[in-house]
Amino acid sequence: MIETLKDYYSGFAIMNQELTLVLVLIFVLLADLFLGEKGKKNLQFAAIGSFALATISGFTVSFGGSQEAFAGMYVTSDMHVLVKNILNIGTLLVFFFAHYWNKNENRNQSGEFYFLTLSTLLGMYLMVSSGNFILFYIGLETASIPMAALVAFNKKNRDSAEAAAKYILTAAFSSGVMLFGISLIYGSCGSLYFDEVANAFQGLPVQILAMVFFMAGMGFKISLVPFHLWTADTYQGAPTSVTAYLSVMSKGAAAFTFLCILFKAFHNYPEIWQNILWWIIVVTITVGNLFAIRQKNLKRFLAFSSISQAGYIMLGVISGSPLGMTSTVYYIFIYLFTNLAAFGIISNIENQTGKVGMDDYNGLYGTNPKSAFIMTLAMFSLGGIPPFAGFFSKFFIFAAAAEQGQYLLVFIALLNTIISLYYYLLVVKAMFINKSENPIPTIKSDNMSIIGLGICTIGILILGFISPIYEYMTSISFGM
Amino acid sequence: MSSGEIFIVVFITAIILVSAALVIAMLISPRSTNEQKGEPYECGIPTRGTSWMQFKIGYYLFAILFLMFDVETVLLFPWAVIMKSLGVMGLCSVLFFLFILVLGLAYAWKKGALEWK
Amino acid sequence: MNVPVEFYLVLSTLLFFIGVYGFIVRKNLIGILMSIELILNAVNINFVVFNRFLFPEKLEGYMYGLFVIIVAAAETAVAIAIIINVYRNMKNIDVDSIKELKN
Repeated sequence: MIETLKDYYSGFAIMNQELTLVLVLIFVLLADLFLGEKGKKNLQFAAIGSFALATISGFTVSFGGSQEAFAGMYVTSDMHVLVKNILNIGTLLVFFFAHYWNKNENRNQSGEFYFLTLSTLLGMYLMVSSGNFILFYIGLETASIPMAALVAFNKKNRDSAEAAAKYILTAAFSSGVMLFGISLIYGSCGSLYFDEVANAFQGLPVQILAMVFFMAGMGFKISLVPFHLWTADTYQGAPTSVTAYLSVMSKGAAAFTFLCILFKAFHNYPEIWQNILWWIIVVTITVGNLFAIRQKNLKRFLAFSSISQAGYIMLGVISGSPLGMTSTVYYIFIYLFTNLAAFGIISNIENQTGKVGMDDYNGLYGTNPKSAFIMTLAMFSLGGIPPFAGFFSKFFIFAAAAEQGQYLLVFIALLNTIISLYYYLLVVKAMFINKSENPIPTIKSDNMSIIGLGICTIGILILGFISPIYEYMTSISFGM
Repeated sequence: MSSGEIFIVVFITAIILVSAALVIAMLISPRSTNEQKGEPYECGIPTRGTSWMQFKIGYYLFAILFLMFDVETVLLFPWAVIMKSLGVMGLCSVLFFLFILVLGLAYAWKKGALEWK
Repeated sequence: MNVPVEFYLVLSTLLFFIGVYGFIVRKNLIGILMSIELILNAVNINFVVFNRFLFPEKLEGYMYGLFVIIVAAAETAVAIAIIINVYRNMKNIDVDSIKELKN
């Protein structure tokens, strides 16, 4: 018994990133408790600084091959480490953009903001490297429960409360549905470990039903179309920094986990979930695009845009190959910089003027040329216009799907790219061409968000040309 | 008699006895009604205000805190069952778990959630 | 006394769909929350029954049930706090009161 316990504790040796994050979490919590009223300013630097250190230390972790701990409960590999590092970068960028909001409007609760955000990040870590449905479920809920508290952060704001109510109720419902699926999987396969489920999966009707329930639950988290109804309202009502976090990190982590579970647990009968996913992708991309056209609020607009982007991410999942995994992670990586650049500009302008409508952005180029320029880059990259990073990520993900013979699907996705170009250019048109009587006055950004926007801009401009990143991802990815 | 017959006899007897007691009481008891009798009883003193009162919203914080700490201790049961065979290392795990819980309580305390306002 | 396993499964399936039905038709946010609890209870029955009748040699299902209970408590706590916040802002906890966010 003692020997097995020693094995058990040796499992912590490969959980470097999680343990670092837990240390940062406890440090931020204690700092928030004991720094007091005067130390609020230092608290921000403590939180951002310690988390930046954790981010840097994450890049030193490397395993070579696949590793597992706690009898296969926790699985990690270089790919998992890379995904966690990507999540770290995104969270750090969100902290940069949220700095101004935390300094002024949200001054009294900034400690809670950092603590809750890092808690959700810990949940995503566990979810990403789970090897068992129990750890997966705990990670998922650790990611989504504090997220609801974050969405409700503006306590006096009606929209925030409404968005949070919608988010928590749909999240709880979807995890209930998913749990029912998992319980049926357990009943029919006799285990909760992904690899044992894969061995016992015979394509029985009850197992297919269970898989559909499971996919429905994940669809809620990634906001694929039949399950997307909460997305727009939640994105609009939540504080802008939280919306940015929700749209990139939550979606990216859930998409990668979904991919891992489909590859590991359901790889014996790929045609079943590929058929379901085919229809989901078509509907997701189309509905997301069509609804995005008529939005007047920029946060709502980006919500529908992110729904259609989730559809594109699923193109990499459906192929089921190592190339699919590479292109999915690459897509998430590029999408992070692109979407965060857009949200950075929006949160800057919203913090200082309170305007988020599309019409308010008329004539932005005249007063804030730099912001208009970065927003244009982000929109071009989201639409997939060639020299920018978004083009390369879209290209690779189409290539991954086409490699598996999904030509019709790629064709539909390409058609939708043209529709999406139309509405992304609407924003550009508003900023550069439309005239306005009272445009947004020239705003002065704070240093933190300038750093963040700079990183995002560099990412959009040159990431597509740095081929070692893609080659590194190819070397560590794995298929079904 | 078999057990089924005993059950039926006991069941019928019970119904007859109870309903007989109620019917006899209804027939022979004296009746009087006045306004005071319809009021809710509150230790002898006439009730003031409405008895349909709302609880202070401040209670919910205590309810939530209680709920959390009450349910989280469920996790101690699986450990308690095999405590001896797990030994010191199992104890360390549980102590860390309790440390996290205490951290939560300290947080609530410091933020003033336990103060009665 | 031996209740066959199908009876438990029928019960849990019924409970699950009662929960789904309640989630869809209920007008009160607390009612919706209670419907979600019904779903989670159905899941718990499933896990425990599968473990007890089909795979009694390991305790995976019981442990999953335990975690579902704990996470459900955390979820309820946050959800109730949010619903109270909705009440403070709108003086109402009907579903109809939270439909302001539209384009």
